[in-house]
Amino acid sequence: MPTLIIDNQSVTVPEGTNVLEAAQQLGIVVPHFCYHEALGAVGACRLCAMLFIDGPVKGMQMSCMVEAKDGMVVSTEAPEAVAYRGQVIEWLMLNHPHDCPVCDEGGECQLQDMTVASGHSVRRYTGKKRTYLNQDLGPFIHHEMNRCIQCYRCVRTYQDYCGGTDYGVLGSNQRLYFGRFQDGPLESPFAGNLIDLCPTGVLTNKPYRFTSRFWDLQEAPSVCPHCSLGCATIPGARFRELQRVRSGNNPEINGCFICDRGRFGYDYVNHSDRPRTPLLHGEEIPWNEALETLLQRLTKLIECHGSDSIALLGSGRASLEANYLLQRLSEQLGSAAPVYGSHAGRDRAARAATTLPTELSASLADVRNSDLILLTGADPLAEGPMLALAIRQAVRNGGRVMICDPRPVELPCSTEYLACQPQELLQLLSALSLGETLPTKLQPLVEALQLAQRPVLIGGGDLLGAEGTTALLAAAQKLNSEDRSCLAMVLLPEANSFGAALLAADGPDFEQLLADMASGRIKALVCLEADPLTDCPDRQQLLQGLEQLDFLAVFDHLPSLIAAKADLLLPTTALAEGAGTLINNEGRMQAFAPVFSPGQPLRITSQGNHPPRSFSTTTPGALPCQAWALLAKLCDLPVDLAKIRRELATQEPRLAGLPDLLAEGSGQRIQSADKPLSQPHALITEQVDALQLLACETLYGSEVLSAHSSPLDPVRPQPYLLLHELDADRLGIAAGDLVRLSAGEIQLTLPAQLSDRMAAGVVIVPHLRRTELESFYPGQPSQPCRVEKVSAL
Amino acid sequence: MAELLSAEEIIELKGQIAAVHEPRELIIEVLQAVQKSHGWVPDAGVKLAAELLGLSPLQVDEVATFYDKIYRSPVGRKVIHVCDSICCWTRGTELVYRHLQQVLGIVPGETTSDGCFTLLPTCCLGACDKSPAMRIGDRLYGELTVERVNTILADERQETEA
Repeated sequence: MPTLIIDNQSVTVPEGTNVLEAAQQLGIVVPHFCYHEALGAVGACRLCAMLFIDGPVKGMQMSCMVEAKDGMVVSTEAPEAVAYRGQVIEWLMLNHPHDCPVCDEGGECQLQDMTVASGHSVRRYTGKKRTYLNQDLGPFIHHEMNRCIQCYRCVRTYQDYCGGTDYGVLGSNQRLYFGRFQDGPLESPFAGNLIDLCPTGVLTNKPYRFTSRFWDLQEAPSVCPHCSLGCATIPGARFRELQRVRSGNNPEINGCFICDRGRFGYDYVNHSDRPRTPLLHGEEIPWNEALETLLQRLTKLIECHGSDSIALLGSGRASLEANYLLQRLSEQLGSAAPVYGSHAGRDRAARAATTLPTELSASLADVRNSDLILLTGADPLAEGPMLALAIRQAVRNGGRVMICDPRPVELPCSTEYLACQPQELLQLLSALSLGETLPTKLQPLVEALQLAQRPVLIGGGDLLGAEGTTALLAAAQKLNSEDRSCLAMVLLPEANSFGAALLAADGPDFEQLLADMASGRIKALVCLEADPLTDCPDRQQLLQGLEQLDFLAVFDHLPSLIAAKADLLLPTTALAEGAGTLINNEGRMQAFAPVFSPGQPLRITSQGNHPPRSFSTTTPGALPCQAWALLAKLCDLPVDLAKIRRELATQEPRLAGLPDLLAEGSGQRIQSADKPLSQPHALITEQVDALQLLACETLYGSEVLSAHSSPLDPVRPQPYLLLHELDADRLGIAAGDLVRLSAGEIQLTLPAQLSDRMAAGVVIVPHLRRTELESFYPGQPSQPCRVEKVSAL
Repeated sequence: MAELLSAEEIIELKGQIAAVHEPRELIIEVLQAVQKSHGWVPDAGVKLAAELLGLSPLQVDEVATFYDKIYRSPVGRKVIHVCDSICCWTRGTELVYRHLQQVLGIVPGETTSDGCFTLLPTCCLGACDKSPAMRIGDRLYGELTVERVNTILADERQETEA
């Protein structure tokens, strides 16, 4: 731990820290561009110059390139250093246009800040500036090359960190151009990070373009709701509209980056069809009446039909607190414990994932640091995109990635791929957990596992199911030893799937609820931010069950199918409009803070014109309430989040840290369960002959919230079907042909895509919401199907 | 795209690419092969090179646009690279450069109307001992004077017409 003196202040920093970082620790602001905490230092911008007065290095040096050493005496304020930096910034500013007033970066522009910090306030250069033609980089990013200062951050972000290959630097010396080979959308699903990383206005947010100034936005630390990883985000709102999301920084999870689904999936909050008023049979009613009606109807049904005539349904979308209060409500009503999740298979897999001891659970930071990542039935880009980026960092550090999957899992790094049937995955994991020998084709994997020092086993709850998840965790435990740790991670479907599963414990699941509904025993169903009509795979039985209900109450902020059927609709706030806690897939509790108050976006109420000039004391569309607050009122509890958290922490010892949780910070892991992991059984599966249909999550279009976000409209895929080339050959199908898929009672005509990097005998369709493919659900065992050619391309 | 390189050339290049550890090593060689047969490297040439090397067109173009001896737009039959670096500046390259522009009737970056010569400045040619220097095609000319330039141009022009 070297100790050095910067500007007469002493600071001790960890070995390997550079002098710029050491100065930052002291709160000394030194201008810099090319250095970034996630990208490292390259000494290219020449702006962080400091005068090294004493120690192993002397003279003017780029502080980002000098490692802090004992005995260094450094000055940031020496006149030579100040003059040097002043000259560098003046020279960086030579070609920069004077267009701050019309530049979206204005106000959050590092170039503005650094120019001011370097004391450059008068432009002496009067010559011509070099100008460029901009490119169309697709729906997310606007390009304005004239503002470029050649810091190379975009290339280092896009190519090095994110693994993109279609954006880079062209030309040389004073003719550098940062862009693509030709106009066209950026291919990387992490391209949006260019917006955060570009220190000036070259790469700005296209959907948010000319919408707000940074200082006009309401922002708060938040958690991304678009998968189970729980990346830190900072949403920004104005005019009652969620206008953008930028990355927060959680070193344990996402670091400084987020994926484009998380960045551009926010618009569900502004959806024009979003429920905004309490409705009883389609009629607006005041809140107090709505809550009274709910309690009255439920109590009455209990009086007539007994307490088991009421069913409560929580979800992985709702916060931990709201899901917990649903449990309290069931206790108060004397009804059965709530069911968590409308998809029993996914719910059971999530419950299996919660049994993992905390010390064996891998965070994304652990993944980045791993030397062997084994993916079994996990498709990171679809099920948790930032995991793909974390895996890339492991590979950049020399790690190895092995993929066992029926799907053609693609990652932005080099991988070793072993095509496996879904049932082979379970066999593999159970063999690993029992220490049995693996089939020959998996031998490379065994050798790699023996050599690895920091292996991480990663599975997807959808493909593995509860059984496979249990086997994965047991395998990690088996491979974990005192000499080397072996960690595990399971990808779950929703942001709070883990939290909901934890509360579900050994309570009923949705299949039991369906059976009870079908038998007519259930008279009332209360859905908390859950939409069984889009998530329950057995829609037929669900529709029959819904027919038999006397009363359906729905708490939601999405214009969901079930909300449209509700007798009583109780509009709730979206994540950014309230506070609460989510538990991510590794068991990390994370609190989020309210960003703004709900209300009909001005964009909608003013219909693109000047806001209405009529005045009133109420805000249009401001009625949605936080679900936990509504439930607290229903339970007759004080509407106090801190109290609810304290109560929950005493009820559930695994959540002991909950009351101390802050919205800022990296969250807190839950405590381990005190019961040992359950052991999987040895599996015997029979060989199947028919083609097996597998519905899978996809990057865009599967996740329910972002499926309602218009900035993602241009990138949502059209329905397709994916076949192995061998199967296609056998069936006489070529890429692009229209084929008829018959599975169960469903028949669909779809264009075929082919791959040789997938398991043969498997047919894959993406789970695309609001398309004809939405009736195929992930998280289900594969089902036999037929594929026939209809017509050629 | 096939006409950019012959089938034999493609086989030859594929063999070379297979033999190296990292295909990027051969980006310049492949581009030069395209340039040799086509005179310059059109977008289709970058795409062809990318396909052969297993890289993205952007990754190839990053290298192609870095070097001024890889021509990404059409050039004349011969390209004159006039050294634009310190030693040549001290030895009167300005005169030579101005003279070239006058006799050819073009400014740097342009091609003569007969399609014979394209004039470009270039960074150091490594011929400081013979400065001022220029390069036409693969030939290096040093110790240039206005008179010598006239003779060289006449010879070079004669060669292209022959």
